[in-house]
Amino acid sequence: MRRAVMAILSLLAFPLFGQTADEIVSKYIKTIGGMDKISAVKSYRRSGKFTGGSGFEARVVEDKKRPNMIRQEFLLQGMIGVTAYDGRNGWKIDPFEGKKDAEPLGEAEMKKIVDDSDFEGPLVNYQAKGNKVEYVGMEPVEGTDAYKLKVTLKNGDIFYYYMDTDYFVPIKIDTKRFVRGEEREFETSLGDYKEVGGWYQPYSFETNAKGSANKQKITIEKIELNVPLEDALFVEPPLKGKAPAPTTAPDASNIQPKKPDEQKPLPTEPKKPPRTVTLSREDGEGALPEILRFAQDDASEEVR
Amino acid sequence: MMKTAPFIITIFATAALAQAPVKVDSDTISGLGARNIGSATMSGRIAAIDAVSDGPRLTIYIGSASGGVWKSQNGGTTYKPVFDKQPVQSIGAVTIDPKNSKVVWVGSGEAWTRNSTSIGDGVYKSTDGGENWTNLGLKESERIAKILIDPTDTNTVFVCVPGKLWSDSADRGVYKTTDGGKTWNQVLKGSNLSTGCSMMSMDKSNPKTLYAGLWDFRRRGWTFRSGGEGSNAPSGSGLYKSTDGGAAWNEISAAQGLPSKPWGRVAVTVAQSNPNVVYTFIEAEPPKNGLYRSDDGGKTWQARDRSQNMIWRPFYFANLIVDPKNPDKVYKPDLSLIASNDGGKSFSNIAGGAHGDFHDVWIDLITGDDGGVWYSYDAGNRWWKADNLPVSQFYHVSVDMDQPYHVYGGLQDNSSWVGDSQYPGGITNDRWENMYGGDGFWTFVDTSDPDYVYAEAQGGEIGRTNRKSHESRNLKPLPQYKEGRQRFNWNSPIHMSPTQPGVLYIGSQFLYRSRDHGETWDRISPDLTTNDPEKQKQEQSGGVTVDNSSAEMHCTIYAISESSKNPNVIWAGTDDGNVNVTRDGGKTWTNVVANVPGLPKNAWVSYIDAGHFEEGTAYATFDVHTFGDMRPYAYKTMDYGKTWSPLVASDAPVRGYAHVIREDLINQHLLFLGTEFGLWVSVDGGKQWAQYKGSDMPNAAVRDLQIHPRDNDLVIATHGRGIWIVDDITPLRALNADTLGKEAVFLQFTPATERVPAQGGWVTGDAQYVGPNRPQDAVITYYQKKRHIFGDLTMEVFGADGQSLGTIPTSKRRGLSRVTWSMRLKAPRVPTAASALFSAAYGPRVVPGTYTVKMTKDKNVYTTQLRLVADPRTTATADDLRAQFDLSMKLYNLLNDMTYAVDRINGVRMALDDRLSKLPPNDAVAKRLRTASAQVDELRKKIVATKEGGMITGEERLRENLGDLYGNVIFYEGRPTQMQQMRTDALTRELADVVKDFDAWSSREIARINADLAKKNLAAIQPLTREQWEKPAAAE
Repeated sequence: MRRAVMAILSLLAFPLFGQTADEIVSKYIKTIGGMDKISAVKSYRRSGKFTGGSGFEARVVEDKKRPNMIRQEFLLQGMIGVTAYDGRNGWKIDPFEGKKDAEPLGEAEMKKIVDDSDFEGPLVNYQAKGNKVEYVGMEPVEGTDAYKLKVTLKNGDIFYYYMDTDYFVPIKIDTKRFVRGEEREFETSLGDYKEVGGWYQPYSFETNAKGSANKQKITIEKIELNVPLEDALFVEPPLKGKAPAPTTAPDASNIQPKKPDEQKPLPTEPKKPPRTVTLSREDGEGALPEILRFAQDDASEEVR
Repeated sequence: MMKTAPFIITIFATAALAQAPVKVDSDTISGLGARNIGSATMSGRIAAIDAVSDGPRLTIYIGSASGGVWKSQNGGTTYKPVFDKQPVQSIGAVTIDPKNSKVVWVGSGEAWTRNSTSIGDGVYKSTDGGENWTNLGLKESERIAKILIDPTDTNTVFVCVPGKLWSDSADRGVYKTTDGGKTWNQVLKGSNLSTGCSMMSMDKSNPKTLYAGLWDFRRRGWTFRSGGEGSNAPSGSGLYKSTDGGAAWNEISAAQGLPSKPWGRVAVTVAQSNPNVVYTFIEAEPPKNGLYRSDDGGKTWQARDRSQNMIWRPFYFANLIVDPKNPDKVYKPDLSLIASNDGGKSFSNIAGGAHGDFHDVWIDLITGDDGGVWYSYDAGNRWWKADNLPVSQFYHVSVDMDQPYHVYGGLQDNSSWVGDSQYPGGITNDRWENMYGGDGFWTFVDTSDPDYVYAEAQGGEIGRTNRKSHESRNLKPLPQYKEGRQRFNWNSPIHMSPTQPGVLYIGSQFLYRSRDHGETWDRISPDLTTNDPEKQKQEQSGGVTVDNSSAEMHCTIYAISESSKNPNVIWAGTDDGNVNVTRDGGKTWTNVVANVPGLPKNAWVSYIDAGHFEEGTAYATFDVHTFGDMRPYAYKTMDYGKTWSPLVASDAPVRGYAHVIREDLINQHLLFLGTEFGLWVSVDGGKQWAQYKGSDMPNAAVRDLQIHPRDNDLVIATHGRGIWIVDDITPLRALNADTLGKEAVFLQFTPATERVPAQGGWVTGDAQYVGPNRPQDAVITYYQKKRHIFGDLTMEVFGADGQSLGTIPTSKRRGLSRVTWSMRLKAPRVPTAASALFSAAYGPRVVPGTYTVKMTKDKNVYTTQLRLVADPRTTATADDLRAQFDLSMKLYNLLNDMTYAVDRINGVRMALDDRLSKLPPNDAVAKRLRTASAQVDELRKKIVATKEGGMITGEERLRENLGDLYGNVIFYEGRPTQMQQMRTDALTRELADVVKDFDAWSSREIARINADLAKKNLAAIQPLTREQWEKPAAAE
């Protein structure tokens, strides 16, 4: 009923009050708690469960601290994969094949973690962040009307935010990143918004490479606000037995990948039972779980 | 009176509410996803190509005849469809803005006007590289042959519109915009309402100079003319030139050297490296038809090549491409691709191993033909096939009862095939197998002998092919003494009896039935058509160039359906508008078409589906597009055709001429309607229709539908995007006013199959299409009236004993939703070691049986039963599966025991190291602690591999051995081997030995160590108990 009334109202109102990007963004911020509530949060931790195919599950934890520090952990069998960014330097530990020291991120991973490091997402304070937000029209998402916002980041990457027309929260985000000239496109559905500390956040994420039915799911179980997080948590640890990292970390944009950053998908189904799960090819490029991507994973298969 | 009025109003309102159907729209039903199983092996007809080098990358746009626009940004290694959301999928022209490669123009509606061609709805433009499109008008153009952009002012664009194929229309000729497409002017039009623009070219060094070919043409169901009404009748065709940007046009058809009229189709192109050189192909009366060249901008012309591939089928091949750097190098796409290096004097066949029937060339060097896209890296000697464009044009589809079932179907110019509906590793191109030849249409397994397949080529050339040897035998019914030619449609109907295995039908103007694999045919009807002699002049069809390929064969039977309730009730519909029914197995026939209300005369009967519930019931679609009427016509009768009711109301959202209607096999209110623009579904017998758009299925023509009687899958044959499968449509059967009115409800009816884990296929690179499989996990379907946005929507599975087996992430969408459950327990706990043990990252599969699924949406709990059944292909018995589960659990528990052991050892070791760090290095107690720590670590290293560094260490300890064994047992659905049983016992003992050693060490050392620690005021060491160890696991 409410929808019907709103639909009639919006029909009547349309010529007078066409939505603008700013209106949608400000309604979104209002819905999720308002700037005061968001600004009051200086750090937070989200923890939950990753679900792939055939019952593959792992624990995931994401720590974020203002202004733009982030650490994402993927926990499997007591091993912790880490992808982190301290505001300048992005790094990872990919321990699942036995290598436990930190490595620089590849281009796609680096873009991803910098995007993810945005503390409250690209819509909040978007002008100050140098993001461009345009309202590009109505588009239904899985049967629900949505306002489509095109968010262009400073680095040229594009997000399409689909905002529910009743509540103005994103129900889907499409991502397009440009890596070595190639477009990498992902879709993420969001849901189960819940409030913690006055801030509504989604607790459910479902991500796939555009056009792929292969979905990776994150179910957040707990969000803790203003947890004490040391800066050191986000800084690349030194190699064992090597000199500690310089106090001034190199600028993130100068990070060069040591090796191609082609990523393998998380094992969504055990394509090759059991031995070959880890060693499907002689080069050791098995179905190695990559570190958690909260919003989307650059690792999934491309549309072919 | 006054008193009763509100009461009456209330009653009316209530009644209206009670009867108001719950709205079923596209999104209600599209949560049931579809899988596009391809194939890109056959690919399909390509109408237009453009490409541009963006730095080191070659960006390619492919305009397919009926499958949208595809874009590659890596020279063809991968493609993505970029036009899928647009209402039409037929493409005639693609042009990239020469100044801004993000701007792309598409003319919808192909210009290669064969019988099966689709239709477009105007000009589209994208300003963001194909991401979004705007229809800029010319909506009545129906088809567009060329778009030219003024390179000096890219807001000035010319569009060459052949216009409507099937009817008169003034919306054709050349159109011009000077404001980027906001407004259009028709700057050149033909002399009559059947003449449009067939090709156009611009001198890019002087964009005001344009050439255009006008073409007079018309297709009807039974004939085609290129040129006027008759091979030597006057026509509107001609060659025109403008030198003022299209404001004024001069007809130059009579220029010196050009052939005399009448003309048919005209192609023209300017050599950009020397714009005085102009080539034109003119379909004139033989021997004047052929290529002409002008070296003076069209003033005078010389006749050039008129080889077979220059003059062959001009309505289908009329494109000329000149190398932009070499005015003497000319390509002509035709049956073969031919090229000239001497200014058109002679041509060589350069088609190599490509499919044939070419339509466009992009230099340097991509071509498209009836079989897809081809690349040449040696200037057109040899060709690579694009294996990633599933634009295949199926006419029909059928299924068999194999496990998993196969899909059969025939395609426009691409033969008849059998493909897998699923295959380990995905449905790669090589999972499709060709079974015949020619154009393909109806294809079936022989239901009485599955080693054989019935297939046909155009014009009723039915054959029976051995699936293994591929030996094929022609079985076409042949005419009797002096009977003359029988009339078999281009797409002749073959029908397999639903009641009598092995019985099949085929129709010419007569209906035939065979009970012996086509060895003998019984003619069971008289001529069921109108037998209109005016529609049987195919030998004169074609216009200036006769073209009698059977594509215009008319007055034929086109649709056959035997009732599954009574084999004596048989329906036969004809392309010239008769609906015939027999109730006595063919002895007597009644034409009931006059009883169909509101149906235009002679409407092509495109499909008849005899009802599955009542023998007097039938559904029929009628296709009137060959008369220019693109609306859908679908009807139902319940009394053997005496009366018919329309199924598509005038205000229904259904678009496009109708090809197929199917009644569901279980729920007679569930109907599926395929039209030129997609698939529509009704859950209430046709009162409401909603377009199915699951998995972003594009608006491609749906030509045939099958419902798998065992697996309940809907198999969709599209003409342009291959085969799509909607797995398990049982939830659609349950959509009714009751379920649709609920906030949320499970629609879970089909047992989930515990498919045997299997691997197949191999790495294919990125340049291959791979059709996805159905999910290997159990699929759980539910419905929500509204999208779930706030609060939890959770799902949990329980065993028969009520124990939770895990949670399932849920989908939040409105309408039908699907989620999957692995049918596995949670993975065991695994000791931490040098690397991950992926084989143990999965749980044992639960045994077949009934499980309970609970969904909690806010405070409401919804419950359903989920039945799991064994894979029908497995030879494993229930006992075998129980034995597998039991051993899996034994190993699972052993992994847990091992993890506890390692955690216990690690706990002691870390405690030792902790105390050690608090003592001076040379302290006597410190030394003892150090020794103790090393002793404990030695025990740990017996259980787990510890060599780190990210290399193949080959280090195997009990953990790695156990992980291998566990994986081998849980991923094979059957009784474990004797060796696996034995190995389980061995590893159990080996672990017990280490644990025993640790226990012995603990009882020997810990008390002593704790005494030492007490002296130093350090905390005692307390090994982890099993209870303590299990607690955090429970918490997790």
